Amino acid sequence: MIWLYLDPGSGSFLIQLLIASAAGLVIVFATSWRKIKRLFSKNKAETEESNDEDENEDENEDD
Amino acid sequence: MMKTKMKTKTKTISLVSSFRDPGGFLFTREGVLYRQVNQVCAEDYTRLMDSGLYEKLVKAGLLIPHTESDTQPADDKRAFKVLCPEVVPFISYPYEWSFGQLQDAALVTLSIQKRALRLGMSLKDASAYNIQFYKGKPVLIDTLSFEIYKEGEPWVGYRQFCQHFLAPLALMAYRDVRLSQLLRVYIDGVPLDIASQLLPGRTRWNLGLSPHIHLHARAQKHFADVSVNDARGKRKMSKEALLGLIESLRSSIRKLEWKPGGTEWADYYSDNNYTGSAFEHKKVLVGDWLSKLAPKIIWDLGANTGVFSRIAAETGAYVISSDIDPAAVEANYRLVKESNQGDLLPLVLDLTNPSPSLGWENRERDSFLQRGPADVVLALALVHHLAISNNVPLERVAEFLSGCGEWLIVEFVPKSDSQVQKLLRSRVDIFKEYTHSGFESAFGQWFTIQASSLVRDSERWLFLMRRK
Repeated sequence: MIWLYLDPGSGSFLIQLLIASAAGLVIVFATSWRKIKRLFSKNKAETEESNDEDENEDENEDD
Repeated sequence: MMKTKMKTKTKTISLVSSFRDPGGFLFTREGVLYRQVNQVCAEDYTRLMDSGLYEKLVKAGLLIPHTESDTQPADDKRAFKVLCPEVVPFISYPYEWSFGQLQDAALVTLSIQKRALRLGMSLKDASAYNIQFYKGKPVLIDTLSFEIYKEGEPWVGYRQFCQHFLAPLALMAYRDVRLSQLLRVYIDGVPLDIASQLLPGRTRWNLGLSPHIHLHARAQKHFADVSVNDARGKRKMSKEALLGLIESLRSSIRKLEWKPGGTEWADYYSDNNYTGSAFEHKKVLVGDWLSKLAPKIIWDLGANTGVFSRIAAETGAYVISSDIDPAAVEANYRLVKESNQGDLLPLVLDLTNPSPSLGWENRERDSFLQRGPADVVLALALVHHLAISNNVPLERVAEFLSGCGEWLIVEFVPKSDSQVQKLLRSRVDIFKEYTHSGFESAFGQWFTIQASSLVRDSERWLFLMRRK
């Protein structure tokens, strides 16, 4: 049992479980795809660099 | 003098706006704003500070900075700590924001949640009222919104995020920008069943809106009588899934856009561009008068895209730049963002019906006037709209403006002016007292005229007045 100060709503809880499992899959897939791409990439260093950029952008998205 | 000081010293006022959170509350003492952290929230607050999340968020300009204070807590029995947060110069509400302002506030909320999850915390709510514009950007002002993330738990703030941000933004983008005013009626955000009904049918095929609004609304109805724990059963939500949800919300919010009547923003600026020597003279007069007053807060009412607000900001004051036209306010906000202007806040405001006090006991959200007074009020090319388009007698306009601030810079636009002629074209001229002398005598009831000047190459007059 969890104590919450905000009512999350039963429907809202369920629907996000549903959406999140789908969205989570997309993320897992995207990450794996990136790894696979990196594995087969001829220019390994270049791909790694672009991945780093992705993460940086993510970090600074609203800065 | 001594007596008043003694009185205020012990006077502690709890603010009604923060009463819902058992984790703490805001209070003021001797005019200083404090936030009490209650024992119940001690673990969460300590984690926020020790995990490095606080520092990271403050550095990124996403969370209001605070210091810990030695002052006596307002409620000793429950207190863990007292914080002294930096003060936002003007509190504004989501129903006063333009589309872009609400969109940026939504993105900031998601960005904070994402960073929090990385460091083992989560936002326990997603209220648009927790976001304020500070130094030109949206920041979270509720330091107590964080709780320790428990693996497997869904996001408690999801429903609130959809109601406070996604639903109104979708309605503004897909139906009508004026639907932001639903936030004024529904204090906990737009109910999703209403949003689902009002959105066009084609949004059911939209990858973001279909699940987050339409399906979400149906699920809420279906599970209305089921408790959260019964509905959920033993289902867990992995952190990856939770991050996926946040990403899905972020992309849904980012895809929404709004443009007035299909025009480009660049057209909007050029269409509203003022030119000519009259306009230049008006700028000089306003600048000169303002520099002598050295105000801290200026309200520019009917500011359009904020040309004079920017002149006002040059005095070092914080400027509230309001207009009734959501497109003008949006254009104004885009300029604020482009130029990184931290001392100007554009707001959507209908002066014939300004934001009322709302919520519990009518005290949760302050009315527009309660958030005053300003040191100086600018009412440029405004009074004819109130007096002629809205039939407000001149002395009532003056009375209203005298309630807004101590000093007033006001423009009188005579009937012969083309702008007033345009307004009179569609109505019978019942405005006999709308003359230069009528204007002076009406405003003279509430103000003393300190200076006045005819604007060069025009028939318009500018007045500097002080409240009586």
